[in-house]
Amino acid sequence: MTLLSDTRYIFVRYLTKLVRTPILLFFSLFQPILFLVLFTQLLTRLSNFPGILPPGVSYLEFATAGILMQNAFGSALQSGNSIVADIDSGFLQKMLVTPVSRPAILLGRLSSDAFRVVIQTAIILGLAYVLGASVTTGVVGIVLVFFTLAFFGLAWSGISLALGMKTRSSETVFAIGGVITFPLLFLSPALFPISFLPSWVQTVSMFNPVSYAVDASRALMINGYDWGTILPAWGVIGLVAVITMSATLYQFRKVVS
Amino acid sequence: MSDIISVKDLVEVYSDGTKAVDNISFSVKEGEFFGFLGPNGAGKSTTIKVLTTLLKKTSGSVSVAGYDVDTDSSEIRKIIGVQSQETTVDGDLTGRENLTLQGHFQQMDSGEIRERVAELLKLVELESAAGKRARNYSGGMKKRLDLATALIHKPKLLFLDEPTTGLDPQSRIAIWTYLEKLNKEDGTTIFLTTQYLEEADRLCKRLSIVDFGKIVASGSPAELKRQIGADSIRISLENCKKDGAKAKELIKSMTDVTEIIDSEECLNVYAKNASLLIADIVRALDSIDIRLTSVTFSSPSLDDVFMKHTGRRIRTEELVKAPSRMFGGGRR
Repeated sequence: MTLLSDTRYIFVRYLTKLVRTPILLFFSLFQPILFLVLFTQLLTRLSNFPGILPPGVSYLEFATAGILMQNAFGSALQSGNSIVADIDSGFLQKMLVTPVSRPAILLGRLSSDAFRVVIQTAIILGLAYVLGASVTTGVVGIVLVFFTLAFFGLAWSGISLALGMKTRSSETVFAIGGVITFPLLFLSPALFPISFLPSWVQTVSMFNPVSYAVDASRALMINGYDWGTILPAWGVIGLVAVITMSATLYQFRKVVS
Repeated sequence: MSDIISVKDLVEVYSDGTKAVDNISFSVKEGEFFGFLGPNGAGKSTTIKVLTTLLKKTSGSVSVAGYDVDTDSSEIRKIIGVQSQETTVDGDLTGRENLTLQGHFQQMDSGEIRERVAELLKLVELESAAGKRARNYSGGMKKRLDLATALIHKPKLLFLDEPTTGLDPQSRIAIWTYLEKLNKEDGTTIFLTTQYLEEADRLCKRLSIVDFGKIVASGSPAELKRQIGADSIRISLENCKKDGAKAKELIKSMTDVTEIIDSEECLNVYAKNASLLIADIVRALDSIDIRLTSVTFSSPSLDDVFMKHTGRRIRTEELVKAPSRMFGGGRR
């Protein structure tokens, strides 16, 4: 089928570009790794105070889920830049004058984004393991963590893609992306336990989709198959995805029509 | 032969109110090498974007290979090859990968692609660089690769938007040779836009001269030049403002002068035996103390045709590449 094969060719193109520009991969991994290695060190003593972290859990183990989320954010934001680059260079127009399947242009991009999140997640998880964190739910759990983060990354790619197509400026994508991303991370239990946060942040975090996604990956890593946390998280991510993908589709239609 | 492109009363107005194409009509026959010659901003790229289904027309009717651009755009995309003004190869991919990917976009099967890629690499003389990333290619190599990607599926109809702008003379001549071969041997219809007179003169069997979104003249290069009917003498005076009118009056009265018009330099004189007339002009101006700074003689060129219809030379000083406007802010 044209849609599938075209998606594959475009997926491979983006992946090839990524592999051949390792500096991009390095930069998007740099921040999460810095947090994993250094930031967690600053707070190791948190486990000395009872009642903050779950019993028997080190800060590193706790924070890994949040850092993985930060990583998913970072790579999702680069998605918009890639579409800006293709518009600027004329490559998108070059695709559009061929019979290539239109949805494949978007699907190829999105699938490469998801793949990238999985690869980066694997690298960070591997490093976290070396530093002493592990995933209690084992291999299946790891796969579910991958799924949760890739799904979240996809939902978030939609924001940067829509922004990229709307503004055609990678600076804007980065600026707006940064403005949205950091408050959402800080207003969630990504880096600190919810009970540790001031009550107004606790309230806000209930409306923050990031909280749900973090809780789900954290549950898989620390507690086990806590479906009461995991399933609602997938629902919330799905809802975000529907919204951001609609925006992306709307902008994409305007570009290709 | 039948018309492969037929354009009637095409108008393209951008959302900011710019009328990029102002009511043009023309047609191109199958197998023809047809060109749009005009300066930057004349509406050449805009016309190509409408013809290649990238841009919706404001009004008029446009059909390509018998298909309507609005309703049958997907049919049109199957038979056209397009090289846009910007060189659009992916720098992270090798030359071979760029071609292969384009083959996939054109829905060709892998075996067919392999064969065709080898053929094209040979044609555009990129065999030895095929495994290198395109980002390391020279400007001329990138253009050649870009042209090859447009040819991957042997398009019946090829659109080339200023294919040699920014190239050195050697690369330009190489591209001209491929294009002539393509048109003659494979019967590919070619629609080319250019701001280079020699390019239009050498390649196009028929062309339209465009300026400010309008077609100002059409025909074969020879026909167009014949319309001028005379050689031209370009005259510039030391003080054109003061003496221009007087000089014009004087020269007009001389025999064999068919036409005299104001130009950027000062005056353009069209005459039958211009070479013989130069001495007379110099003498006559000298006798009434009008000082000349230069007199240039030339047989009619397409530039004279452009000049005759617009009063200007083609603005070749603006050879710097204009940015693509199609995806520019809010133009749709």
